[in-house]
Amino acid sequence: MLAALFDSIPAMIVLTGVLVGAAAALPGVFLVLRGNAMLTDAISHSIVFGVIMVWLLTRELSGPVQLIGAGLTGVLTVALTEALTRTGLVKTDAAIGLVFSMLFATGILLIGIFARQVHLHADTILLGEIGFVWMRTTPVLGVAVPVSMVMLGVVLVLNLVFVVLFWKELKLATFDPALAAALGLAPAALHYTLLTLTSVTAVAAFDAVGPVLFIAFVIVPPATALLMTRRLALIVPLAAALSTIACVSGYFLAVHWNVAIGGMMATMTGVLFVMVLSMRALKRQLQHRRPVPGNPAPWP
Amino acid sequence: MPMLVDLLGSQIVRTVMLGAALVGAVSGMVGVFAVLRRQSLLSDTISHAALPGVCLGFLLAGERDLTTIMLVALLTAMAAALSVLAIGRLTPLKTDAQLGIVLSVYFAVGVVLLSHIQAQGGGARAGITTFLFGQAAALSAQDLWVLGGVFAVATLFFVVLWKEIKLATFDPIAAAALGLPVRALELGLTVLLALTIVAGIQLVGVVLMVAVLIAPAVAARQWIGNLGAMTILAMGIGGLVGAGGALLSATGRGLATGPIVVLLASAVVLVSILAAPRRGVVWQALSAQLQRWRISGDRVLLAMDRLAAAHHDPDYPSEKGMLDTMLGRPLPGVMRRLEGQGLVRPVVHDPESSPHWVLTPAGRRRAEALRRTGHGPD
Amino acid sequence: MRKERTQTLLKTRRTALLSAATLAICLSGGALAADPPLRVLATVGMIADVAETVAGDCAEVTTLIAPGVDPHYYSATPSDVRALSQAELILYVDFALEEQLAEVLRALSGRTRTLGVLEAALAADRLLDDPEAPGATDPHAWMDVSRWAEIVPVITAAMSEQRPDCAPAMEARAAAYRAQLDALHDWVGEAIASIPEGNRILVTAHDAFYYFSDAYGIQASEAIQGISTAAEASIGDILEVAEFVIENNVPAVFVETTVSPRTIRALVTEVRARGHRLEIGGELFSDAMGDTGTPEGTYIGMVRANTITITDALGGTRPPWPAVLGDWAAVWSLAD
Repeated sequence: MLAALFDSIPAMIVLTGVLVGAAAALPGVFLVLRGNAMLTDAISHSIVFGVIMVWLLTRELSGPVQLIGAGLTGVLTVALTEALTRTGLVKTDAAIGLVFSMLFATGILLIGIFARQVHLHADTILLGEIGFVWMRTTPVLGVAVPVSMVMLGVVLVLNLVFVVLFWKELKLATFDPALAAALGLAPAALHYTLLTLTSVTAVAAFDAVGPVLFIAFVIVPPATALLMTRRLALIVPLAAALSTIACVSGYFLAVHWNVAIGGMMATMTGVLFVMVLSMRALKRQLQHRRPVPGNPAPWP
Repeated sequence: MPMLVDLLGSQIVRTVMLGAALVGAVSGMVGVFAVLRRQSLLSDTISHAALPGVCLGFLLAGERDLTTIMLVALLTAMAAALSVLAIGRLTPLKTDAQLGIVLSVYFAVGVVLLSHIQAQGGGARAGITTFLFGQAAALSAQDLWVLGGVFAVATLFFVVLWKEIKLATFDPIAAAALGLPVRALELGLTVLLALTIVAGIQLVGVVLMVAVLIAPAVAARQWIGNLGAMTILAMGIGGLVGAGGALLSATGRGLATGPIVVLLASAVVLVSILAAPRRGVVWQALSAQLQRWRISGDRVLLAMDRLAAAHHDPDYPSEKGMLDTMLGRPLPGVMRRLEGQGLVRPVVHDPESSPHWVLTPAGRRRAEALRRTGHGPD
Repeated sequence: MRKERTQTLLKTRRTALLSAATLAICLSGGALAADPPLRVLATVGMIADVAETVAGDCAEVTTLIAPGVDPHYYSATPSDVRALSQAELILYVDFALEEQLAEVLRALSGRTRTLGVLEAALAADRLLDDPEAPGATDPHAWMDVSRWAEIVPVITAAMSEQRPDCAPAMEARAAAYRAQLDALHDWVGEAIASIPEGNRILVTAHDAFYYFSDAYGIQASEAIQGISTAAEASIGDILEVAEFVIENNVPAVFVETTVSPRTIRALVTEVRARGHRLEIGGELFSDAMGDTGTPEGTYIGMVRANTITITDALGGTRPPWPAVLGDWAAVWSLAD
């Protein structure tokens, strides 16, 4: 029965997407709530630099070394951004833009120089290919399971353990960082751990959806869930459920139109967001209330 | 490696240099306002959102009709900017979530369209991937006219509406009170931002465009505080970085222009942040050191003044060990600096061999002033 | 824009291309075959055409990478995923070409029979190295018809292995096809030899023509981009080719269907700005064949079109079309 599931290619592809969505939603919820969502953008672009550096050092394009490299690249990106911001000379948003483009440009130049040996195209790095995840398998308990799924599964468990263990701390650090610091909860350490996990998740999802579409899975379903409920404990499973709907519908639409599967899945997260947004707006109209003006919260 | 001067004689090098300089200059100009209005990441979003436009343009125009492609890309880029605005108005989501949603979903649509184009075949993809990463080397003379046109439009916009833009940027409330169409001005700036990005992506690609936009502005901000001068400096930095990056990338095979321009721009930002007068990190560190020296010197003068008063001898020679004891450990070189300023004078106090100093008349006056104004040690 | 939309799944049978004698065997072979046709997946059209021609009704050949798409830049759609998962035999050129697919094909070799035709058909000393990456193979062997003809028996054997009933019919078709390819090889050689010696230089957008050069005695200069089109063409690349063109007084350069023509146009502008004459000699099929349903959508037609374009642009004369290929030309109603 289980073996039959792992033999079905569509099931494999959709399941990989669902794993990406669930693994991404866990850190995503907190990043969206804390107003750090665009750090995902920075991290996912910097990963290109991390991947090529790890390749140059170890000649390995995937596996645990790459995960560690990704974690380090994520920390490097965040640390550089914060160092730049702390000079007081550059605003956070400009610092993010400067740091990731510098790392990305270095990565692209290195790939240009070593492209022939890496067999790694810059656009593959940018786009990923979820359609092929079923081909590279590894035996797990006697069943051939796609490598990507194993990696994503491990990362999902990692994220889940972190979020469950530090639930209270994360909640407090998200909604009242000052109090969290006063209670000795080290919000900075939590922040770094969260972003390290995000970059590790990014590289695990790298084969499947590529870094840019990964941003969609981190930000869009949690943001959509936020529009549906205000209870933090509900937001995480809701976001994962939204990702699942996006993956399943995205897969079938992609097959129907014969277009990129990962792209269609990410597009569907956006479609769901627009649907929830419209329903919300409609509900408010029906209640004869004027929509609450958006909260143009400035950068922290 | 061919000589740089030889390279300047080449048509293609001149074309790409001019093109990159134009893109850099417009980006610098527009980027100043993007950075001041905290729109750096909006630029990144708009740039990624140009991808579906490029693909749609391909599908509509069929062949590589650059004008149509750029127009459609401009439309999707503007649609993305409006989407950010709409999400901001309709939801309580924070700015960066709004940007992240629009960036990733528009890019996803672009990826879908890209795969559709590729499945159709027909060599289109070869041309279209160049928009992802830019293809500066293939710039043609016609492209220069387009880039020149964008440059002219941007310059005209700023020259004609300078005062209004300045006010709307720094004090939108006052601008609105004066009856300025703040909304229209903001829209104009956003259209200009999108236009610049769409013009630039064929040189540097969608990912790196944000750096070309904001780096010159961030660098210029470190040197100058005046908005007009800052804009002109950013224009200059952008132009030079563009031209310089193009020239550098022509010195060897396999050096892509876009990443080199971005790395050069990053280097300029780094140097500016470190070295800019008054704001720069090095300058700040230096002035902090000067400050410490000054305070330390003042404390020495006051201590010597107190010793002189206690001994009723204005020319009382203060001994080094005694000063050290009174002040804790004074910074090294303080006495030499005070000597240099003519505030103290070394004297020999027989039979002791340790160094002694006396206050000069100038030193006495300064110590007196410090005592009066209370700007002394705590 | 193309009139007809070319689907990724190309199902074209071209039994009509074969001579009458082979047709007879083909029909008898087809009648014998009780098995369903073998599902063959070829990465590029150059292999698919060979497989189709040999297989007749014995196999259903699918091409993964659509005409006009640069294999170096391939990305998959769901129909490709289905085709890959359902194929019984997968034919590819060499990982140096299908870079994007290399890992996938390697992984698939566990569950499906996969065959790299270059490695199987040609001894190492007949393969050229990528001059910029020692140890790596230059995959563009289809540019030399005599070398590409070697893949015919290899493909025939691989298909016969899985459909033994079809073997005799396929072998007969393979023999007829090889005769056609031999004639084509001689014809290309003759055509290129007619180009004045000083003009026998081929300048293109990327390094796809070293085998052509090796087989037919025309110098292939280093192109703007290397064997792989992975890295972006830089200013330095174009300048170096411009120097070469001027030094050797090359009359014409060529664009390729799978590479953006903008780099070659930039090259022409550069050379003309330095006061030299240079024309764009036409469009060559380098890494992909022409559209299905046109003569250039077949391997023979692709080679023929490239040869004519090169010969005309560099001042040669077209030799008469070989008689063995008369039937082929008749199918496409080509005059000569």
